[in-house]
Amino acid sequence: MDDEKIKREVRAGYAKIAKEGSSCCAPVSSCCGSTHLAEDISKRIGYSEEELKAVPEGANLVLGCGNPVALASIKEGETVLDLGSGAGFDCFLAADRVGTEGRIIGVDMTSEMLAKARENAEKGNYDNVEFRLGEIENLPLADNSVDVVISNCVINLSPNKARVFKEAFRVLKPGGRLMISDIVLLKELPDFIKDSVEAYVGCLSGAIMKEEYLKLMAEAGFPDIRIMDETSFPIEYIANDPTAKAILEDLEMPIEKAKEVAGSVTSIKVRGVKPE
Amino acid sequence: MEILACPMCKGDLELSIEEEEEEEKEKGEVVKGSLYCRKCDLRYPIEEGIPNLLPPELRQKSE
Repeated sequence: MDDEKIKREVRAGYAKIAKEGSSCCAPVSSCCGSTHLAEDISKRIGYSEEELKAVPEGANLVLGCGNPVALASIKEGETVLDLGSGAGFDCFLAADRVGTEGRIIGVDMTSEMLAKARENAEKGNYDNVEFRLGEIENLPLADNSVDVVISNCVINLSPNKARVFKEAFRVLKPGGRLMISDIVLLKELPDFIKDSVEAYVGCLSGAIMKEEYLKLMAEAGFPDIRIMDETSFPIEYIANDPTAKAILEDLEMPIEKAKEVAGSVTSIKVRGVKPE
Repeated sequence: MEILACPMCKGDLELSIEEEEEEEKEKGEVVKGSLYCRKCDLRYPIEEGIPNLLPPELRQKSE
């Protein structure tokens, strides 16, 4: 798949999710629209009940792999940028932390998602949150302008991850931190998954090897990168997750193969700081 | 606004306002308007309160 095709497919996929309110990662699945299930998954990936209650209904589309560590580090008065902000869930949680003196900027390339995010911001009266339609590879922000860059299971979708990290580094103030959560690989995926559009949009085939991911971050200028947390996906997760199920069905993948794939994927929370 | 930049050259943008939300005037929320980059000679539209700062080639494909 070439880069342009990937971008088109990813946008189309997430536009569809925004419209249909499906709560999972892949556009192929239509099976998990209920708010209850969304809440369930959110709790499993590490959001507390209070956090889930604090944001407007509909903001939690559960398309991330969880970023509570990054949220916990956000202080009052800080400027926070969320890469791939979607319907705004993490932005609203961050907004409560920065208070009236701080501000949150959400950037997403899917206008349907941003329309939802803006609606949610109005519902929740969030005055310190703003959204921009933009590309994370070409951030519409000035150099040295934000304290924290957060991103929750989004960078794996970018065909040019090196550029995303460079852009994050550029917009961070000296001493500013990049705190991301994402899917990476421990083993290369089989070709039939790599070539699947559904698996790409579902945050799987766009993922790269963990070492490569950390290397790209380092090359962007982050000197000491720390992995805060690493969670693998047990096969039960794959078997019960509607997104994963849909991908499996779409690819006609036998369960043995699925196990192999599950073992190749992991979710990491990484932190990098721009030198002073 | 002061930290907004052109996604291409990262330069400053000039705001022109066509419509502002009445009750939010003191906040200066722009509902419709545009942002202009003098250096690249590119205009980025603001619609429904959201600035479209996608690079021009990507913006065209979405329409």
